[in-house]
Amino acid sequence: MKEEQLKKALNELAKAGEEPVHPDLAEDIKHHIPHTLNPHKRGMNTINIIIDLRINKLVAAAIIITTMILLAHFFSGREIPGDSIFKDSKMLAAYFLRGNANNSDLSAVRSRYKYLLKRGEQAVYYGDKANLNDSRTVLLQWKLPDGNYRVITGDWQEKTVDAEQLIELLSYMLQEK
Amino acid sequence: MAKNLQFIEQNIGLAHPINQQGNSKEIQSHMENEQHSLAARLAAGEHAAATELVDRNYQQIYLFMRRLGHSRQVSEDLTQETFLKAWRHIGQLRDGTALSSWLYRIGSNVSKLYWRKHKSRETSYTETLDQPDSGITERHKVEYYEQLSRLKIAVERLPFKLRQAIVLHYMQHLSIAKAAEVTCIRQGTFKSRLNRALKILRKHVSE
Repeated sequence: MKEEQLKKALNELAKAGEEPVHPDLAEDIKHHIPHTLNPHKRGMNTINIIIDLRINKLVAAAIIITTMILLAHFFSGREIPGDSIFKDSKMLAAYFLRGNANNSDLSAVRSRYKYLLKRGEQAVYYGDKANLNDSRTVLLQWKLPDGNYRVITGDWQEKTVDAEQLIELLSYMLQEK
Repeated sequence: MAKNLQFIEQNIGLAHPINQQGNSKEIQSHMENEQHSLAARLAAGEHAAATELVDRNYQQIYLFMRRLGHSRQVSEDLTQETFLKAWRHIGQLRDGTALSSWLYRIGSNVSKLYWRKHKSRETSYTETLDQPDSGITERHKVEYYEQLSRLKIAVERLPFKLRQAIVLHYMQHLSIAKAAEVTCIRQGTFKSRLNRALKILRKHVSE
């Protein structure tokens, strides 16, 4: 069959499939539409604002994950050494948003980060913003089941640190900025 | 099949010209302005605008669902869900003039989710195929019905993306640009999708 014939046949099929719509359908739909907008709208607007601000997705994700880690600590009853949750989050956000991209080959660390996220681990990737070749710079961190953290530092070493040590490293990074 | 299709063309004529180009630029501009204004009222949370949106589009969305292969009852439910989602997520609409494309996009997603949840469900609206107009003999009526039913089954057997492309362009008469906008792909990709779908359909109806 020629293509043109097939297209015309499809058009015929559309016509043949036309049927009267249930007379009450429109009224049913209108009846179900809430008079005030669902709170969904507000939430989505917030996300849209983030998109409109062109904030790097990775940065946004890192901020969200960091906040989640801090909240997890908060709700598990463990106290985080150092400043308040709000202050820590604020400092980290400021650090990320200021940015210091170094486009060295961080693909291996980034791949590891993606892998950890897929596994559902609480991982935070700082690589794109971090100063490399510094043993006190954290490129990637993720939480271990025992409450400690595994980190990959700027000198490409992998080590386990506790919450206090991690805060120290992050504070150092903030100061360096 | 080709012979019968020619017969159909001669005796019935096309329901809609393929790829309707629309009227003058002025009318198009007026319609765009209207859509933009409606979108702005929706974004402001005006309930009357939501009911207007329903009045203007519910038939098209319902037929879209039917053509995607849903039963009457399911199509009604999915049409309702489409409008409720549109209302809830109106904040995501960026371009007011793209209101109808956006509505089709929501409808497509609602339909896709339904198929995902109900994989075993067979598509069925074969029974609703209308008989052709008068002036055609009984034998030809039967042939007409058979051929269209065959084509319809072939459309329903297409993978969702290809079926969606066929329905949007050839049945809902959306232009390539608009249909590509609905499916969030480039026009070139949409055309290639259409070609693939047509190739499969041609193979099925010629068997």
